[in-house]
Amino acid sequence: MKTKIIENIVKILIPLIQVFGIYVILFGHISPGGGFAGGSILGSSIILFRFVYGSEHTDKKYPYKYLMRTVSIALIMYGSLKGMLFILDHFGIDKIIPVGVPNTFLSGGSIIPLNIMIGLVVTITFYFIAILFEEGELEYEHASE
Amino acid sequence: MSQLIQLFPLLSILILLIFGAFLTPLLKRKKIILKLHIAINSLVTALSFITLFYVAKFGPFVFQIGHYPAPFGIVFKIGPIESSIGLMFSFVMTMVMWYSIFSLEKEIKEKRVSFFYILNSLLLASLLGIVYTSDIFNGYVFLEVSTLAACGIIIVKDKKENIKAAIKYLLLSSLGSGLVLMGIAFIYSISGHLNMTYIHGEIIAAASDKTNLLLISLILFTIGLGIKSAMFPMHVWLPDAHTNAPSPSSAILSSLVIKAPVVFLIKIYYLVYGIEFISNSNVFELLLIFGGFGMIMGSLFARRQKILKRLIAYSSVAQMGYIFLGIGLGNELGLTIAIYHMIAHGLTKSSLFLSAGSFIEQTGFKNIEDFKGIGKEMPVTLGIFTLSALSLIGIPVLPGFISKWNLALASIESGKIYLLAIILISSLLNAVYYFPIIINGYFGEDNLDGKVFRSKSKPIKELIPVIILSLVMVAVGFLSGSVINFIKSGISIM
Amino acid sequence: MNMLANNYLEVGAIILFGIGFMILLLHNNLIKKIIGMNIMDTSVFLLFITIGYIKGKEAPIIVGGKLNTIGYVNPIPAGLMLTGIVVAVSVTGFMLALTIKLYEKYGTIELDEILKMRSE
Repeated sequence: MKTKIIENIVKILIPLIQVFGIYVILFGHISPGGGFAGGSILGSSIILFRFVYGSEHTDKKYPYKYLMRTVSIALIMYGSLKGMLFILDHFGIDKIIPVGVPNTFLSGGSIIPLNIMIGLVVTITFYFIAILFEEGELEYEHASE
Repeated sequence: MSQLIQLFPLLSILILLIFGAFLTPLLKRKKIILKLHIAINSLVTALSFITLFYVAKFGPFVFQIGHYPAPFGIVFKIGPIESSIGLMFSFVMTMVMWYSIFSLEKEIKEKRVSFFYILNSLLLASLLGIVYTSDIFNGYVFLEVSTLAACGIIIVKDKKENIKAAIKYLLLSSLGSGLVLMGIAFIYSISGHLNMTYIHGEIIAAASDKTNLLLISLILFTIGLGIKSAMFPMHVWLPDAHTNAPSPSSAILSSLVIKAPVVFLIKIYYLVYGIEFISNSNVFELLLIFGGFGMIMGSLFARRQKILKRLIAYSSVAQMGYIFLGIGLGNELGLTIAIYHMIAHGLTKSSLFLSAGSFIEQTGFKNIEDFKGIGKEMPVTLGIFTLSALSLIGIPVLPGFISKWNLALASIESGKIYLLAIILISSLLNAVYYFPIIINGYFGEDNLDGKVFRSKSKPIKELIPVIILSLVMVAVGFLSGSVINFIKSGISIM
Repeated sequence: MNMLANNYLEVGAIILFGIGFMILLLHNNLIKKIIGMNIMDTSVFLLFITIGYIKGKEAPIIVGGKLNTIGYVNPIPAGLMLTGIVVAVSVTGFMLALTIKLYEKYGTIELDEILKMRSE
């Protein structure tokens, strides 16, 4: 159902949801939360957008190609960063993950970038799963085209 | 230098994940994707080979991943068994990839080809993870990844039957993984550890106290991993999945995917519970019964099949029966032969599936009857098929014979003479359903007229990977003595 | 009996596991099967969290820079189950997508009817 009321409320609601999701991702290392939790919140905001504004509008705003590219790049960066840390650790360099200091944003070493990568991946994956349920395929074609 | 080589198992998984699975969606041109994947797989094979040599020379090693030492961090334990199975997995995967370059597009849509390669990289990474890891929960996660990727390579061919087969596989497999997870929960509640070595220590201390809990978890692991590896009564998903998938996928599913859970099961038996606890429980008898029934019933089912790939799939059920029988004997030779048979069957069944796939691809037929006189049209492919089938039947020198012979010796050693009859009957049944295909292929007369010599045979260039596979299979048969000794050295330190 | 009542969380987890297992095994409807799978997985999560929970202790979060003197509950099962939930979500998502596809191709989601349709 697509009415003016829902559209306007969602317009106000989505930024709030997204800010909350970004907060959960960014502060995952010093408070409860993290990449998966925050990413699922962000993903739910995009899914809400899609349900309210329809698939065509959403696909113009978030094209499949760019989302796929973002996911791949985030995964590559995650894999190389974490893999590099493992390898460095094996050779005795970078022995421990630095312990996070409470209430300090810039602590916890490599956890912040890793959390951001996971957040991106989870956001887009959840959105993809929603598309999969709606259309049955990721690279679908619009009926009107 | 040795520090660098110890890195190789982790490095191969990382390379497969980053470059194989994550980089490919960014690439557009198919030629580059193909070259990249062949390069990655060859590299991983080379790394596994070097690891194998390192293990053979300097003995097994323990590799710590993560930043914390053993009870908290994840640990890879690489011994002779792990390294040889890892080498077999990566080698077979490379050869199947090589074969699939020429034939995949004839079976699946062009859009899905890169998807197939991504899933294969993911699959190999997770399978290697299952084999290498010494952390029980990490093994579970890799197991789930491998299941999802295996479903993916079934449904790349977008047919009705494929989706049916995939959902059947996924349902039964999630049943199995639920059981495995429950088993892990029980084990964790007893021991408080996830690392296999540490769990073993706690279990020995608690064995007299909590025997029932341990037995329940043991059964949960056996049945759960048995479903995933097509142990006989739980094999119902296998024939559908292996028949309908595209031929390269069938080869991978049959020779790699159902082997990895068995390796995990062996690790759980010997590293987590320990031989004393296992031999006091009756789980080995269970494996003997399931394995023995699988050997005979799988062959009986296979004899009735009319579709060629379905026959080969049922033969896989029978061959898994050999592996479970070997484990179930409970002595050192039996376990050695189970692992040797895993390697032998992996090489044999992949070349069998690939040659059957090229029959189907060149002629367009599916049923066994239509392949009469195929030897005139495709002599080389039928030659490879014959060689692999003879190995499964058990003609001397070929690896199938070696494992049957040693399995017989092991069953005599353990004092269970009646198992000889099962092994003998199963071999005879193998011969009963493979020989008609071969004989009719070479000499089937009613179909022969109108067929021109070599008219449909594939170019030799496209058959090279299958030829290499069968040559390596023969080599594994010839060098069986040293292979078995190598595996045995791994078992004695387990 | 007293032991069962004291460990009601474990008992509940095992009963839920049985319910989920039987639904997954015996029902014909694919959606019901997927629900059964979810019940089964969730029961294992409940069991794991129960193993890690210690009565009267807090979640392992440091508040205000001081360690809690009472001690904390075991965080490892919670961490493991986060992974388990991710796995369960992806399997469920994949299975539901396959079910949609199956319905498009066969027109039914009853498994026994689908298995009867042998298309040659």
